[in-house]
Amino acid sequence: MRRKLFAVMLTLGLVTSLVACSGENKSSDEKVYVVGISQFAQHGSLENCKEGFIEGLRESGFVEGENLKIEEKNAAADQGTAKQISDTFVADGVDLICGIATPSAQAAYNSAMNTNIPVIYTAVTDPVSAKLAQKDGMPIGEVTGTSDELPIRQQLELIREILPEAKKIGIMYTTSEANSVSALAIYQELSKEYGFTIVESGITQTADISLAVDTLLDEVDCLTNLTDNTVVNSLPTILDKANKRNIPVFGSEIEQVKLGCLAAEGLDYIELGKQTGKMAAAILKGEKKASEYKYETITQPGLYINMTTAESLDIAITDELLERAIDVIY
Amino acid sequence: MNIFITVLEQGLIYGILALGVYITYKILDFPDLTVDGSFPLGAAVTAAMITKGVNPYLTIFVSFGVGALAGTCTGLIHVKCKVRDLLSGIIMMTALWTINLRIAGTANVPIFGEESIFDFSKLSASVYKVLIIILVISIVSKILLDFYLNTKSGLLLRAVGDNANVVTSLAKDQGNVKILGLAIANGLVALSGCIFCQEQRVFEISSGTGAIVIGLASVIIGTSLFKKIRWVNNTTAVLIGAILYKACVAIALKFFEPQDMKLITAVLFLVILVGSMERKKRVRRNA
Repeated sequence: MRRKLFAVMLTLGLVTSLVACSGENKSSDEKVYVVGISQFAQHGSLENCKEGFIEGLRESGFVEGENLKIEEKNAAADQGTAKQISDTFVADGVDLICGIATPSAQAAYNSAMNTNIPVIYTAVTDPVSAKLAQKDGMPIGEVTGTSDELPIRQQLELIREILPEAKKIGIMYTTSEANSVSALAIYQELSKEYGFTIVESGITQTADISLAVDTLLDEVDCLTNLTDNTVVNSLPTILDKANKRNIPVFGSEIEQVKLGCLAAEGLDYIELGKQTGKMAAAILKGEKKASEYKYETITQPGLYINMTTAESLDIAITDELLERAIDVIY
Repeated sequence: MNIFITVLEQGLIYGILALGVYITYKILDFPDLTVDGSFPLGAAVTAAMITKGVNPYLTIFVSFGVGALAGTCTGLIHVKCKVRDLLSGIIMMTALWTINLRIAGTANVPIFGEESIFDFSKLSASVYKVLIIILVISIVSKILLDFYLNTKSGLLLRAVGDNANVVTSLAKDQGNVKILGLAIANGLVALSGCIFCQEQRVFEISSGTGAIVIGLASVIIGTSLFKKIRWVNNTTAVLIGAILYKACVAIALKFFEPQDMKLITAVLFLVILVGSMERKKRVRRNA
C-alpha cells in the first residue's frame, strides 16, 4: 500500500511541477521580449558567444530586466537534452530562440520549424552542411545567424610570414567533429597555394592526444589548431610537448594564444556573439525577417601574438606584424 | 501542456532503448555496453537511407536488423571467443564508432528537408501527431516483446539469466540463447536510435554517449517503482521508467541552473530509488 501511495504521489508531484512549467503568462504595458538561449556545452568560446550575444542585444536597445527576459539553458553536450530545451522554449512561446553550436542550432530549428518563432544561431562553422542555410547563404526557413568559419587563408599567410622555411603543417582533429573535418578540407585545398603540405592526425578522444602529438611532431615544422573541442581542451598537453621540441603551435582564436600558442589569425567569439545579438535585435524589432537574412561570418579576423612564446622559441616577429596585431600578449 | 508531450515523446523513444537494456541487464544478467554504439548505429543507418530517398518506414526494420547484427557480434565475441561479457560489449562499442562514421559519412548528418516517418503519415498536422506515432511504435515493440518472452524460445531466454543449468539440462546450448537475447536487445536499441534520429532530424555521432546510463536508469526506476503493483508488468514498468527519467531531466532543466542539471537529475533519480525501496523490514524491526 505504502509503495502504491508513493508511486501515485511521485507521479502527481511530477505532474504538478510540469504544469507549473507550462503556465507562464505575461501582461504588462510595455512588451517584454523573451529570448531563449540554448547552449550546447560548457566551453570557453561558447560562453564568450553567449556574453557577446547578450551584449549585442543590449547595444541595440534590448536590456535584460527592462524589456528583455533571457532564459538560459545548457545541454551539457547531450543532443537529446538540447532538443528538450528547445521544445520547452517553443512550449513557453518565447519570442526568439538562440542556438549556440551546431547541435543546439539544429535542435532549435527542428523544434521551431512549424511555429512562427524565429531561430538565430552562432558558432556554427558550416551552416550549409548543417542544412541551416542553402548554398547561396539564404536560410532554409525562419533561421539565420553567424558562422565561426575560420579565416584559413589569412592564417596560412601568417604562418608563411613568420616561418618562411616551413614546409609541413600538422593538424590534429577529432574524427567525430563535423566542423573540424570541413575546416581540414579547406586547409588541404588552400595549403598548396602557399607551398605547404598538411599532415593530418585524427583522434577519437582525449586519451589519444598524447600519442598522436608525439607521432605528429616527428614529421612537421609547426602545428596549427582548428576550433576542435577535444583538441583545444587538451592544448596544455600539446603545447608542453611542442615547446620541448621547439616546434611552434599556431592557434585559431585569442584564448588559445593566451594559453601559449605563438600567434593566430582568429576569431573573437565575443565579437561574433555581438554581431549575432544585433541580428537578433533587428528580427525582434521586426525590421527584417530571419528568412530574408543571409548568415554572416566575422568580417575582419584579428591577429593575436604571444611574445613570451616567440622569445622562448627564438622566433623573430617583424614590427609590421606587431603593429597589425589587435592584441600582443607578453 | 506542450512540455508533457515533449517528455512523453523523448521518454517513449528512450523507452524502446530501455526495453533492450531490460533484456540484457534484467533477463540475461549481462552488462551490455554495446548499447552506446548500437543506438547511434540505428540513427546512422536511418540518416544514410533517408538521405538516399528510401521509404522512411523501411528504416525501422533495417535499423532493427542491423542492430541485431551488432548484438550477434557481441554475443559471438563473448560466447565463441570466450571474452568476458563487459569486455565484449566494450570491443563492439569501440568498433561501432568507426562503423557508424563510415555508414553516415560524417559526424553530423541533418535530414531537415527529407521525408521522415513523422511527415509520411496521413494524420493531420496535430501537435499530437509525433507523439501518437512514437506511442504506436513503442507499444507495438512492447507487445511483441511480451509475446516473444512467453514463447518457448523466450522462456529459454529467461531461464539462461536465472539458472543456466536448467537450459543445459534441457539439451539446449545456452551460448546460442545468449546470442539471440543480445541480438533482440540491440535490435531494439537500434530501433530506438532510428526513431530518435527522425524525431531530431539529425544524426550526430555523439548521440550514443551515455545511452546505456539512460537505459539502465529507466530500467531500474521502472522495475523498482512498480515491483509490487501486479497489473503493471515489467515491460510497461520499463517504459514508464524511461518517461520518469526524462521528466526528471525536464524538471532539473526548468528550475535549476544549467551547471547543476546533472546533479539534480542524479538526486531525483536517487529519491525515486530510495522512496520505492522495500520498507517493510525496517518497519518490522522498529516495531
